[in-house]
Amino acid sequence: MKTMKKFVYAAAALLVTGGAAFAASAVNLDSEAHTLVVTEGGSQTELVVGAGETIEFCAAGCFVTMPNGDREVLSGSETIEISGGKGRVR
Amino acid sequence: MLLKLRTLPAFLCLVFLLAFGSLAAAQDTESFLEGQREMLSGIENSVAGLETEIGHQSTDDAELVDIRVELERLGREVFDASLAFRPRLSEINTRLEQLGEPRKEGEPPEPEEVTRERTRLLDEKASFNVLIGDAERLSVRIKTVIEEIAELRRDLFTRTLSRRYDISAAVSTDVLGEFTQELGRVYTRVSAWLSFTVKYRLKPLLLATALASIAALALLFGGRRLFDDFVEPDRSEQNPTYLSRLATALFSTLIPSVSYGTFLVLSYLFLDYFNLLRSDIAPLLWSLFSVIILVYFVYRLARAILAPRRPNWRLLPVRSQAAQWLLVLAVVTAVATGFDHFMDQVYSVLSSQLSLTVATSLVATVVVGLLIMAIGAVRPLEDEEGKPRQWPLKFRYLLFFIGAAIIIAALLGYIGFARFLSQQVVVTGAIIATMYIGFLTAGAITSEGAFAHSWFARRLERHTAFDETALDQLGLISGMIINVIVVLIGVPLILLQWGFRWADLTAWSYRIAGNIQIGSLSFSIMGIVTGIVVFVVGYFVTRWFQGWLDGKVMARSRMDSGVRNSIRTGVGYVGLVIAGLIGVSAAGINLSNLALVAGALSLGIGFGLQNIVSNFVSGLILLAERPFKAGDWIVAGAVSGTVKKISVRATEIETFQRQSVILPNSELINAAVGNWTHRNKLGRMEIAVGVAYGSDVRRVHEILLEIAKSHPMVLKNPEPFVLFAGFGDSSLDFEIRVYLSDILTQLEVQNGIRFAIVDAFEAEGIEIPFPQRDIHVRSGFLKPEEPELPEDGETDDLEEETPAEPGAEKVVRRRRRRKTDPE
Repeated sequence: MKTMKKFVYAAAALLVTGGAAFAASAVNLDSEAHTLVVTEGGSQTELVVGAGETIEFCAAGCFVTMPNGDREVLSGSETIEISGGKGRVR
Repeated sequence: MLLKLRTLPAFLCLVFLLAFGSLAAAQDTESFLEGQREMLSGIENSVAGLETEIGHQSTDDAELVDIRVELERLGREVFDASLAFRPRLSEINTRLEQLGEPRKEGEPPEPEEVTRERTRLLDEKASFNVLIGDAERLSVRIKTVIEEIAELRRDLFTRTLSRRYDISAAVSTDVLGEFTQELGRVYTRVSAWLSFTVKYRLKPLLLATALASIAALALLFGGRRLFDDFVEPDRSEQNPTYLSRLATALFSTLIPSVSYGTFLVLSYLFLDYFNLLRSDIAPLLWSLFSVIILVYFVYRLARAILAPRRPNWRLLPVRSQAAQWLLVLAVVTAVATGFDHFMDQVYSVLSSQLSLTVATSLVATVVVGLLIMAIGAVRPLEDEEGKPRQWPLKFRYLLFFIGAAIIIAALLGYIGFARFLSQQVVVTGAIIATMYIGFLTAGAITSEGAFAHSWFARRLERHTAFDETALDQLGLISGMIINVIVVLIGVPLILLQWGFRWADLTAWSYRIAGNIQIGSLSFSIMGIVTGIVVFVVGYFVTRWFQGWLDGKVMARSRMDSGVRNSIRTGVGYVGLVIAGLIGVSAAGINLSNLALVAGALSLGIGFGLQNIVSNFVSGLILLAERPFKAGDWIVAGAVSGTVKKISVRATEIETFQRQSVILPNSELINAAVGNWTHRNKLGRMEIAVGVAYGSDVRRVHEILLEIAKSHPMVLKNPEPFVLFAGFGDSSLDFEIRVYLSDILTQLEVQNGIRFAIVDAFEAEGIEIPFPQRDIHVRSGFLKPEEPELPEDGETDDLEEETPAEPGAEKVVRRRRRRKTDPE
């Protein structure tokens, strides 16, 4: 019974701490806002990343056009750093 | 200047490398680009081909699903192809950064190679970007087509159900003639195929049948052997338990059905494998087999639930006669639906007239409708007086409503809808009934004690070390597993009935296995399940390692049991933490998220969890420092007893009265703890004894020392000592001090020594005194000495008391004495 209890606690802890992550994120290191064009699941959206902001987007793969016109493909777990208008995948 | 000189060689080197490297790189990139371009255009062509195919196949649902699956695959390919650009792109970006910004006007011009290289890299990047842009457009296109397919399939489904046929042509008398004519054609075709096969391909035919039979027999006998008690229950059993009735119903339905189903499916597959099936025979055979499986399944299920010949095994509380009727009606309904399905296939193979299809379906659906209403009209239940009673009102109306709906739809010409409805009633009804039995079985197994008393558990108990509690928990788990299995098998089967395709279901399961997004939160069920499985495995590995370390390694090294316990506990916690961490990372959870949790926790620790954490840390210190270990006799404050278990929060101490005291670890760390058995169990014990004044104290000393020395459990070194402790009120006090090798045996030793003392003193005539007070009575010349005698009150008292009984006199005297002697 005691082991069962331990299991339940551990599983609960796992579920509580889990649940997040699994998305790509974009960090804007510049002092001005930048716009990313994101194509995900057949629809295109413009994503504005404010200065110094970090946003999460693109859960399952998407195409991204960087502020400087570079294109990238994200599989859904990367981090993009934007500095000087250039985007770079980490 | 010096700096410039030093950087010059490096710079030259870079230029050199660029000049040589760029040539090779350019060629390499060109071929890579060419490959990707070709791949993308290939995918684009396939997409275009599929698009035109959709136009042709817009009426075939299965074909549309196949196209969608193919499109999804192509979508993934496009994605992977674009992902392949990333290393190249980042390489280009790095090199561009190394080259730096182009020189502005007024600055010294840069070497020509650098300019050329930069241009080349920018060109390359531009062509990459163009290709990725193409891929992006292609992926959007694929997604659009997939949505289009979904739209088409929805339309198709509605059209099938809502199409209205003209049934006036179907009810003419010619139809019967045509029907017999078609049957004749089927007969000719089948007999032609059969005679050809028997004549020329007998060997493969026999082989195929034999192989299928072997497989089916293996399944049948294997299943029977395992679940024999369920498939053919013991008829003599008068009062089967609810669980065994349910399990019998479930297994006696599933095992024979699955065996025969396997036989038919395998026969078909083997016949197909040996090329024995002609293109017209194959669909006929397939639909015949599926109809047989369906009818057989419905028969087994109805028989299992109704058990017309065995009232005590019946799951539904209906009368025996009604059970017989219901069984027949259910089977006939299944046969009618199956017949309709089979004939539809026949007509499509023979390309018969539409009127024939309409006529057959009309008859079949009307029959099914009537049968369903007949089931509703049966009086299966018993009222209080034992007379037949009808179904509950709602259920009866439901059956009547469905039956009427089927008949009306068919008569109005909505044959597609009527067929859909009747098929749903038979097949979905059968599946749901089976699932329901499965759920009930799971519930019955989960209920307390049910599993522990089943035959399976009894068998387990005989061969394994499970006790009743473990078996009960096992029952809980198996109940849950049965539920999951029922859902996993039943739900897809029902969805397949409702017009979903197998490919739909696999696509869904892929999606479920992938990420699920709810708002900004996204997670993958598969990941979490993997994490939990990894954790459970890690947990058991830890347990095993713990057991192995404790039982094999540490037991052999003759380690102290306390140390063993400490190490065991420590290893257990470390293993648990490691298993947790591995599980968390296997679940794909970013551990940096835990930092947030830790931050929040530290605030909580500051306030609320202070005590818990302090106890926890104290527990770790106890395990490491080991001021006491399990089995020690300790005294902590008011608690004295044996340490049973040192846990991370609290320590369990058992007093000698067998009371368990749970002492928080921090108290054991912060306050003084006495340990009688810290390094060893050696300890001193004292026995006090007093002898009367006037005894021969030297003789007493001698006797006591002799007794102490002669006790077998008293240590010779340090040797026993007898202390002449003092002059007491009524005795001369002695104290025997002896050392014992095991302080825990002191009670026994105390008893032995005390008995010996009493015996020896008796023999020597030495008295052991008890507190006593001597009373000296003085009498005779009290009166003349009393100065206050003339006072009235006192005299009266005396005068009254003197003649009284001697007891009263004593009281007065004592009072007097108290007056004179304040002692």
